[in-house]
Amino acid sequence: MQTREQILSTLQSLFEELFEISADKVTEDAKLFEDLDIDSIDAVDLVVRLKEITGKKVEPEDFKQVRSVGDVITAVEKLLAS
Amino acid sequence: MNTAASSPANALTYHLDRAWRIFATGYSFASFGLGGLIIGLLVWPLVTLISPNTATRRSRMQAVVHLTFRYFIWQMCQLRLMTLTVENRDALLQPGQLIVANHPTLIDVVVLISLIPRTRCVVKDTLLRNPFTRGPIMSAGYIANSASAELIRESAAILRGGESLVIFPEGTRTTPGVQSRFQRGTANIALESGLPIRPVLIDCNPSTLTKGLPWYSVPERRFDVRLRVADPIPTASFLDAAPNRALAARRLNTHLENLLWQGAQELAHESRATTAAL
Repeated sequence: MQTREQILSTLQSLFEELFEISADKVTEDAKLFEDLDIDSIDAVDLVVRLKEITGKKVEPEDFKQVRSVGDVITAVEKLLAS
Repeated sequence: MNTAASSPANALTYHLDRAWRIFATGYSFASFGLGGLIIGLLVWPLVTLISPNTATRRSRMQAVVHLTFRYFIWQMCQLRLMTLTVENRDALLQPGQLIVANHPTLIDVVVLISLIPRTRCVVKDTLLRNPFTRGPIMSAGYIANSASAELIRESAAILRGGESLVIFPEGTRTTPGVQSRFQRGTANIALESGLPIRPVLIDCNPSTLTKGLPWYSVPERRFDVRLRVADPIPTASFLDAAPNRALAARRLNTHLENLLWQGAQELAHESRATTAAL
């Protein structure tokens, strides 16, 4: 079982790699759309990568309510627990 | 253009001209609304009735919108509300182009569609919720503005199918003097389709019908709309140079933002220099 900090650190390197967003901007409170300029097309790429990383089947439904990086972490936690 | 106070005769001319333009602007808005109503209630049902399939209906409705807008712009020029100058107009006629423009005034889209006989257009989704505009706009194959992956796929398929598509990537009208950020949908459509982007620079001098101004706040004189159809921007190289699609879209988007902003600035500069020389 991974901690929230570990998931955050994975997300930070993912955001750096995919979108060139520096790790210090990727905090639990950062809003994906407003603060990090992630649009829905980026979100699709992000979900594809999370699928690869977690090895779980990811439903778009799981990410429907996601607004902040913290929400992504919660969604990944749920995925890993499932 | 502060000639109003220089002499009583000039002042009278100025006020008469201004009063005329307020009246003519009101008339233009009313005729535009009426035209929309006639298309929605009469032309659109008729075209739907006599068209054998959706592709024919789409093409005919695009022609209806094009001709209506052409008439409308002609009328505004005849009413001495505006002038229109277009550079490199023929380049707009090539089919299958992603046509991207800045958006300084309300009538940019009308001007642009009036110059392109057949094209699709990405429009504000509010137009698709309006019962009068929904039918005609849907049958012309216009697409609702959304940031979805669906929009990207659909638009790219349209372009690859040989139809043109008009987009204002600012998503809203330009605030004068401020460089706006674009939504990345346009860059993503270009990358997905593999086609170049055809930039169109638009200038309106003096500015009018900008965001937040009521229709009757007419400019101090007749406004000149100038369009410059610029050279296409190749986009495939952005995909090759970036490690992934998301980054390619970001870089192409920034490139497009700068190109349209600088191009529009240059055009505005030239347009004002020409006016001053007259």
